[in-house]
Amino acid sequence: MNDRIVFHIDVNSAYLSWEAAYNLQMGSNLDLREVPSIVGGDQEKRHGIVLAKSIPAKKYGIRTGETVYSALEKCPQLIVVEPHYERYMKASKAMVDFLSDYSPNIQRYSIDEVFLDYSNGNLPYMEAAQKMKEGIKKELGFTVNIGIGPNKLLAKMASDFTKPDKIHTLFYNEIAEKMWPLPVEDLFMIGHRTKKKLNSRGIFTIGELAHLDKNYVYSWLKKPGLLIWEYANGIESSDVKSDKSKVKSIGNSTTLPFDVTTKDEALKVILGISEMVGMRLRELNMRAHVISVSLKTSEFFSYSHQKKLHIPTSSTNTIYKTASTLFEEMWDYNPLRCFSISLSSLLDEDFIQLSLFEDFNEKDILLDKSIDHIRTKFGQDSVIRSSFLYSGIDPIIGGVVAEENYPMMSSYL
Amino acid sequence: MKIVMKPIEMIAWFNNTNHPIPLRFRIESEDKTSSVVKIDKIIFKEEEKIAGNKMVIYRCEGIIDDLKRIFELKYELTTCKWFLFKI
Repeated sequence: MNDRIVFHIDVNSAYLSWEAAYNLQMGSNLDLREVPSIVGGDQEKRHGIVLAKSIPAKKYGIRTGETVYSALEKCPQLIVVEPHYERYMKASKAMVDFLSDYSPNIQRYSIDEVFLDYSNGNLPYMEAAQKMKEGIKKELGFTVNIGIGPNKLLAKMASDFTKPDKIHTLFYNEIAEKMWPLPVEDLFMIGHRTKKKLNSRGIFTIGELAHLDKNYVYSWLKKPGLLIWEYANGIESSDVKSDKSKVKSIGNSTTLPFDVTTKDEALKVILGISEMVGMRLRELNMRAHVISVSLKTSEFFSYSHQKKLHIPTSSTNTIYKTASTLFEEMWDYNPLRCFSISLSSLLDEDFIQLSLFEDFNEKDILLDKSIDHIRTKFGQDSVIRSSFLYSGIDPIIGGVVAEENYPMMSSYL
Repeated sequence: MKIVMKPIEMIAWFNNTNHPIPLRFRIESEDKTSSVVKIDKIIFKEEEKIAGNKMVIYRCEGIIDDLKRIFELKYELTTCKWFLFKI
């Protein structure tokens, strides 16, 4: 265990690099990476936030997550490109395929980040990293940062040092020199609020956190505190998991191009999302115990309610019924811009524990099965509920990439 | 050669090796007249997968307006579309 070598491969401004590479392939003579440009949502549909930026755009002070509108204010000649998630899936897959020539132990951490265990590799690790980086640049047309460390945490910290197109190492003997002088918020798992807490007690660098007494940290921040204290000292021992971890929850959300003010419209949106989450749940052959609905008002205030069912369900109708009761319970008639439904406490579909207190309709299963069957065969719009006709609301709502499991970031290594 | 990247209509030959072989294509010029170009020779072909998108590039020779010209064609595998890439 002591001489593990873990690589963390991180695509430099992923969405933007992929857009740029694709455009060059399609004959464009402008490399988006060399001019101020961003990948951002459609402002008309109010999805207008910056998803990725080029390095020249960074110089104008544009940050990921701010609105496209404010980015354009900072830099009027900024080029805005719309996101194409299916292209990103393709690029990400190609990168994983390329890397699997080097090691079978690969964990896809998110769409643009990969952990790779190179402990048993047959090349010296620096040479291997060099080859991967150059190979990806030449074959796939985008640049990556590679961090090398004895565990996943240090590898991830290392890949973040300086960008783009670089290789960094961070072994135990380098922690004091390379990681400890960094500001404490650069440490993995430390967000905005933890930073505030730490700063309030005079802790500004990772080194200062690492040198605290363990018991003191525990008495102050409890268990999460211990975790970040360990991280600050470079202690982390999770495996590079090559198999897909089990799905723990399924959710979809949508931000509408207009504010919803009537109950009728709101319920239609909820029905549309129910269709989507229900379909995804059934595709995994699972059932959900808990259904939760959250709403965001036009003033960006959000609230949510959830309910645990007696009988775990996978039926669109039950999801919709529960979600709409939850909705009616909490809605205070403020205009709404964003809806989401998520299903959790997922169970396998093998058997169901029935309950005396809830109805169970076996016909629902058959109905959903037939609808799913028709939809996979003839397309998602082949059968829709008539209530959606002329409503201006999509009959099936949500999904970054409808047919694929889009790997999202998680806070677990 | 200059990059043009225009979609073209193509007649190609699919044999039992891996990539299709372009035979002749039709291209529309700005004045809406179309002309057909026969591919006399494929000088080389290579596969690229920039950003994970597979394309085959062919450098070809053919006669355009009574002149022997060298040009490059691209075939996008996912969409089965042909392009005049460079001329």
